[in-house]
Amino acid sequence: MGFNGISGVLNAPGEIPWELVVLFFGAGLIFVFLWGKKSGGLAKFTTVDLIYIGIGAAFAVVWEFYIGAFLGKFIPSNPFFGVGYMGRLIALLIVAGLVRKVGVGMVSMFIFNLLSDLISYGFSGEPMYFMYEMLTYGLMMDIVIAIAGKNLFGIRSPPRKSAVDKSKTDASKNSSSSHYLSKIPGVYLAAIEGLAIGVFWAVPEPLFYSGFIAPFLYGGVVDWQKIIFGILAFIPSAIILGAIGGVITLRIVKAVGQ
Amino acid sequence: MNWLIVNVISWLLFFFGAAFPILIVLRVIGLTGFMRITRFESFHTFYYRMNPSIKIMLGLVVTIVAAVTIWWIGAIMTAVILLTYFTLKDGKRKFITGFFLTMITIIGTTWAFAPYTPYTILQQAFHVTALTGIWAWPSYFTVMGYQPELTMQGLIYGFQISMRFTAVSLISLVLVMTSTPSQVLRALNKVGIPISITFSLVVAMRTIPRIFEYIDTSVKIQFMRGLGSTAPKIFRPFYMLKGAIYAIVPVIVFLVRGAKDTAISADTRAFRAYPKRTNMYPITIGSVDKSALAVMTLVMLITIVAVIMGLGRAIPYS
Repeated sequence: MGFNGISGVLNAPGEIPWELVVLFFGAGLIFVFLWGKKSGGLAKFTTVDLIYIGIGAAFAVVWEFYIGAFLGKFIPSNPFFGVGYMGRLIALLIVAGLVRKVGVGMVSMFIFNLLSDLISYGFSGEPMYFMYEMLTYGLMMDIVIAIAGKNLFGIRSPPRKSAVDKSKTDASKNSSSSHYLSKIPGVYLAAIEGLAIGVFWAVPEPLFYSGFIAPFLYGGVVDWQKIIFGILAFIPSAIILGAIGGVITLRIVKAVGQ
Repeated sequence: MNWLIVNVISWLLFFFGAAFPILIVLRVIGLTGFMRITRFESFHTFYYRMNPSIKIMLGLVVTIVAAVTIWWIGAIMTAVILLTYFTLKDGKRKFITGFFLTMITIIGTTWAFAPYTPYTILQQAFHVTALTGIWAWPSYFTVMGYQPELTMQGLIYGFQISMRFTAVSLISLVLVMTSTPSQVLRALNKVGIPISITFSLVVAMRTIPRIFEYIDTSVKIQFMRGLGSTAPKIFRPFYMLKGAIYAIVPVIVFLVRGAKDTAISADTRAFRAYPKRTNMYPITIGSVDKSALAVMTLVMLITIVAVIMGLGRAIPYS
């Protein structure tokens, strides 16, 4: 008995046990919350952050569903590189660089899904696709933001110059500059962190989608050889795109004046 | 010689699936076409008077019906929704744009499924053991994931799958074309979605047509500066695509730089100053909404009857 196109199959041959999936998502959420609190990456979104998220999600939609969708027709279907994926990754890296707060990944993916997948593919299978996009691509991005704190891509949050308590500002500046990642030059840090997000983003489609979401929704047999090949095949392009995306983000964020 | 003909025709078929939708986009719809069907314009017909929550509900109903019924019910819904485009502001042009977008979806989806779908799925979908081959691809096409032959059943299967998406895309665009961002914001708040999420969503909704607008401007400026001026006219679409790609980063910077002004504007109007918002124009359910609800109820009842009569989804998801 299914619901909204979800068969709810939990024992398909080779399917990842649902307990493991829940454990990963739960542990990931707890990690980003606790680590983000420690590193300073956990903070309330300001109005301008919400606007950045909206703009980034809109770019991801325009690229993946309009420009990239047509460019992709010239490139045969292959497991190594995705044109749509490339634009989405870079658009959301830029948003992450502008906002630098835990939750930006998940919220951006929510808006993206609402404006793209839901409009193009319909409501069938929901809310599984929302959960999949937010808790895989979005959460992976938030994990990197939580680890990097406010210094994602080597972009230092400017200290607030308060006339009331200058000493506190100086203290926060010192604490920010003592962060272990702040010792790496900005452009390298941007490339390394972009690369890390790229690698994290290479995993969800083959592992979580093919290993759990697809069999959970439609049943079938999970081909683990294909999953492992899918991950390994996608990682090289994800590394290159992630690194380039990190550097592009750094340039854009500087151009914007942060 | 035979080998050469097979290869030439196969590659022509391959490029037809890739290039034809792009040609429609670039030559017929254009960036202004995308802009036209992704932005709000004020008007007075029934879609414009409808509560945005009802329009969202309409989208859900169309999605459910398209997903659970046989393909031709999706086709009928597509035709009916497309005809209602005539009631929109500048209806004829929106109808034409919607028509070509639907054509692209049909051709794109058919071509995305027909050569790739495994024969076992086609046999299961059409309850046959022997498939009707139309064209045998060169053996190396299997590297791209192609099946050895293009079959009639593959094409029909792809076409039927496209009928799940066309009606949904058209009705979703109606929400975008006939509701102001603040109407959508109020409607979504009414159903309990946090204001910060709806605010980002509305910003994204407003940004999508602006992206097309700015890319269009940037491409025109690049042409004025001589992009592709010495190349033959036949290559102009490729230069247009090149110009669009070159425009992306400047457009991002331009939009993001304007974000601070929008934030100041929202903050000075006390955005998120209080946990709850009051509305100057309360959302009401009018006679148009009641009629729409009645139509939706009727459509759902017909769907249930159709599924009971064996007119449910006839092809498996792959």
